[in-house]
Amino acid sequence: MAASAKRRRGWRKRLGALARFTGALVIVGGLYSVFSPGLYAQETDPNAIDSEVVKGQELYDTSCISCHGDNGEGVEGRGPSLIGVGSAAVEFQVNTGRMPMAAQGAQAPEAAYPVFTEEEAEWLGAYIDYLGGGAVIPSDLDTLVDDADVGAGGELYRVNCSSCHGFSGGGGALSSGAHAPSLDGVTNLELYQAMLTGPQNMPVFADNQLTPEQKADLIAYVQFIVNDDRDPGGVFNLGRFGPSTEGVAIFLVGMTALLLTTLWIAGKS
Amino acid sequence: MTAHNDSAHGAAERETVDLSDPKLTRLEVFKEGLRRDDIEIIHYEPRFAKPGTKAEKRMERIVGGLFLLSGLSATLFVAAYIFWPWEYEGPSTWRDPQTWYTPILGVTLGLALLLFAVGVLTWAKKLLPIEELVQDRHDGGSSAEDRRIAEATVDGLVEDMGLKRRPFLVKAALLGAAPLGLAAVAPLGALLKDPGDMLTVTGWNAEKYNGGEPIRLMHKDGALIRPDMVSVGGQITAFPAIDHGASNEFPTAPILLIHLRDDDATILHGNLYPMYQEVDALWGNFVAYSKICTHVGCPTSLYEQQSQRLLCPCHQSQFNVVDNAAPVFGPATRHLPILPLSVDDEGYFIATSDFLVPPGPAFWNRPSLPEEDEK
Amino acid sequence: MKRRKGTSDSLLTKAGGELDDRFKLAGPARVLLNKVFPDHWSFLLGEIALFSFILLLLSGTFLALFFEPSMAHVTYEGAYVPLQGVEMTKAYESALDISFEVRGGLIMRQMHHWATLLFMASILIHMLRIFFTGAFRAPRETNWMIGILLFWVGFFEGFFGYSLPDDGLSGTGLRIMEGMTQSVPFIGPWASAALFGGQFPGTSVISMIYIIHVFIFPLILLGLIVVHVGLVFAQKHTQWPGPGRTEHNVVGFRMFPNYIMKQVGFMLFIWGVIAAMAGLFQINPIWLFGPYEVAVVSSASQPDFYVMYLDGLIRLFPAWEFRVPPYFTLPAVFWPAIAGMGLSVLLPLLYPALERRFTKDRGHHNLLQRPRDNPARTGLGVMVVVFWVIGTVSGGNDVFAEKFHISLNAMTWAGRIGIVVLPIIAYYVTYRICLGLQQHDREVLAHGLETGILMRDPNGRFYEVHQPLAEPDEHGHTELEYNGWVVPKKMNRVGALEPADKGFFKSIEEPSDNGGASRDEIESGKH
Repeated sequence: MAASAKRRRGWRKRLGALARFTGALVIVGGLYSVFSPGLYAQETDPNAIDSEVVKGQELYDTSCISCHGDNGEGVEGRGPSLIGVGSAAVEFQVNTGRMPMAAQGAQAPEAAYPVFTEEEAEWLGAYIDYLGGGAVIPSDLDTLVDDADVGAGGELYRVNCSSCHGFSGGGGALSSGAHAPSLDGVTNLELYQAMLTGPQNMPVFADNQLTPEQKADLIAYVQFIVNDDRDPGGVFNLGRFGPSTEGVAIFLVGMTALLLTTLWIAGKS
Repeated sequence: MTAHNDSAHGAAERETVDLSDPKLTRLEVFKEGLRRDDIEIIHYEPRFAKPGTKAEKRMERIVGGLFLLSGLSATLFVAAYIFWPWEYEGPSTWRDPQTWYTPILGVTLGLALLLFAVGVLTWAKKLLPIEELVQDRHDGGSSAEDRRIAEATVDGLVEDMGLKRRPFLVKAALLGAAPLGLAAVAPLGALLKDPGDMLTVTGWNAEKYNGGEPIRLMHKDGALIRPDMVSVGGQITAFPAIDHGASNEFPTAPILLIHLRDDDATILHGNLYPMYQEVDALWGNFVAYSKICTHVGCPTSLYEQQSQRLLCPCHQSQFNVVDNAAPVFGPATRHLPILPLSVDDEGYFIATSDFLVPPGPAFWNRPSLPEEDEK
Repeated sequence: MKRRKGTSDSLLTKAGGELDDRFKLAGPARVLLNKVFPDHWSFLLGEIALFSFILLLLSGTFLALFFEPSMAHVTYEGAYVPLQGVEMTKAYESALDISFEVRGGLIMRQMHHWATLLFMASILIHMLRIFFTGAFRAPRETNWMIGILLFWVGFFEGFFGYSLPDDGLSGTGLRIMEGMTQSVPFIGPWASAALFGGQFPGTSVISMIYIIHVFIFPLILLGLIVVHVGLVFAQKHTQWPGPGRTEHNVVGFRMFPNYIMKQVGFMLFIWGVIAAMAGLFQINPIWLFGPYEVAVVSSASQPDFYVMYLDGLIRLFPAWEFRVPPYFTLPAVFWPAIAGMGLSVLLPLLYPALERRFTKDRGHHNLLQRPRDNPARTGLGVMVVVFWVIGTVSGGNDVFAEKFHISLNAMTWAGRIGIVVLPIIAYYVTYRICLGLQQHDREVLAHGLETGILMRDPNGRFYEVHQPLAEPDEHGHTELEYNGWVVPKKMNRVGALEPADKGFFKSIEEPSDNGGASRDEIESGKH
């Protein structure tokens, strides 16, 4: 992380970020008015886009409509309205296997095998975007993360994320059966989508709250502690659950070994 | 005196041995020592009936081998300690040798200790003679004679000092010693500090910390907060925009600024306690709750934006965000105080006053308002 | 002095002579060398605590060379990338430096922490052994009380120790301690201000708990341990009842060489286990926790396991706050934290006196009791263990809830109900099991061992052949006294049959020697 030295703190950074953000808004807004609705995909051929939306709608009408209602308007007591949530939210929920949900529960569980392919998720996202656009993901996310400031990300993580996902990113329990998932093995994109859209009980961290750069800092930090860095303190990290598993380990490993030893020492030979 | 020893064992009754007898063997002298300590041998035999058998040699080799292996492992430990790369070098995988430094040290040192331990224990279990001895316990206090002598000695002592004849001296000594004892602990008073208003006044007190000007809300990095900086369904941790406002100097100041969805905000407006209605504590759909749990003070920051609960990770108290953050589960008994919010001319959030009730854990003379008992 | 023939005329003799000339050692040395110790695996549990403590002193000294107990602010510029440029206290910085900049510092930290957990765990296990066997009875009540004090001093020593690095997790622990301190009626706010030098967290608490952790409490622990071990030595160890063992003797082997070699071996073994665990299992990765900030917390914030039971009680206790507005508040946390801890200290301290009072047993006891022979005490003990386990599990109930997909609220309710109901059930069940075990022992004493051989009498009735333990009377009964000894339950235990398998790690095959009787003869009851 060569960029870790690059640290501008306090007002200047915040103001700079704000200025950049405002600038970016102006540019994006301008581009939007020019290319709309061609922003959904790289291609500019309107038929191609439409076909994505149409394919998305087909999938939606077979798999999502029962809970989220006609045209994503939502069904009281079953599923929220999807108008305005945007493709980032859809792709996050679908690609991590949370949606479609098998049964109503405290919260949608992750699934090892998503029902839809990434391509199908994109179609669904396109359709939901068509119903009413949501937040956008920067196309150069990985570059942003590579240049990010891990230290600043750490501070953001501890103020905003660790209370639910834990200091070591292992996740944590919420009220009444809900939980914040482990961050183990998540991709940059998933992290970004989750922050942007606030899936399930997670609060939203839209771009006005955490700038794309700050999100990149955060992602860089999470990737560092969860995925990049090998625990320096041993072969087993005991799941990084802290004192609870350490307490189990001292009885299961330490005490058990020593109790067997006492049997051997005092045993008649 | 209940279980007085009656020395029923033969050991004590056996004839004494004349130690000056030059014909005594080592064993006989040794046994005389045992006799003097009231010990009797029940069973004693060498581990190997014939010395120098194959089995004995084999056991010797095993124990010796263990010691040598232990030495080898210890040498490896020292070598690894000195030569193995150990400095932390950022992100790493299991292929990087420095990540193995701690495991290698632990395993080599552990093995060295364990091998030596097994060597010593095997020596004790497999090579030492098999023995079983019985020793008298002499439990249950001293003999009557000893007690009598001790009693007389103490009585004489009391008599010599005149403790009974000179009651004045005894009383005067006690009276003098009590303040001396106090004098010994009095310096601990240096630790005492008047808690003053530390539990009731927070960093949001404009009179105390901002010359009476309303205090703005800021991020941890010092950036001031405007309404458009919190997403709908989002929350941020905010601090008073004063010197060191975000530091540990103001442990009761941190707040959780939540931007509620319209529906939720309507519910909260309806539920708001009268004291908060009077001061118009919400600003639009924004509410600022103290982040410090009213149970024992952990940051209550697990905001569930769908179930509208705030959860404290320390003891699992749960607060209802759309009902004044009143506790709904767990050990907490009081709601999280709301910081009265407004927005100033420049568009930044300000606190219109300090919390109406002290945030954080309770203490015996905590000023409480009747509203807290509602619901 | 003329040297006697037959003694080793060596350097050792000479050195011994020189020493004895000056210190008059021959007598006391003989007493020490020949002292008889009983041998049983359960007598080695306290040693685990003793030897962990020695390792704690050694590793702690190493850590103290590098740790700076200061809450002065610095900006981290060390090796650990994600914390570079972060503001923190010197205490946290130096703890990070021990982990990343000091050669071998990390394993020392981990050894120190694992040794602490082992110290506390072995104290608990040792305490259970003493309790369930009645070893605390007269004349050893004092030593039981010293043991209880050792646990509680160790408890706070450990708590202060893991608070020292001033990381995000330990700061949360201190914050909870502040809340608990504040809850004490009348003196709470003053006590809290004294502890933290004003408002929490202040700038002085680390240096205060540092001097307690490295000097005052280790000194108290050392003093108490010396007295504890000294009393075991002076009062002589208890022993299990059995043939030839009475209240007035000790059966075992000599202190030297047998006992001392086993002790040295065991000490090295314990250290080896700790060193291996420190190398293999990461513990308390403070670099992940960041510096302590009042607004920062992590899910799954737990204390170390020996504190977890109190934390669990605090989690389970209902939201009962006594209030007389606006004059007086008694916070809910007072009951589990302050009153609960007070009772946890007092009740065990007083238990020997209470048992004396209720049983009116004022005699000296040097023979241990098997747990089954005192069902009421065993039941009480199991009751406390169940209570403690539920408290401890509840202290980590959020981790349980998350990993096993149980609702957190359900966990809490299960704990609340369980901690009231299960101990009572545990008492009753234990009591019945004890009586059942006693009954079975008596049966064996009266009728003999079950051989597993079914016979059929001429009337066609099936019956099991029993091997009497002594010559039976005309009714087939034996008049053996029930005296708390281990009663053999298997044929091979009485030597009638060789053990099916012998040896600890591998089988040792030895030819059977049972007076020439064949297996058939024994089984058919002719023998």
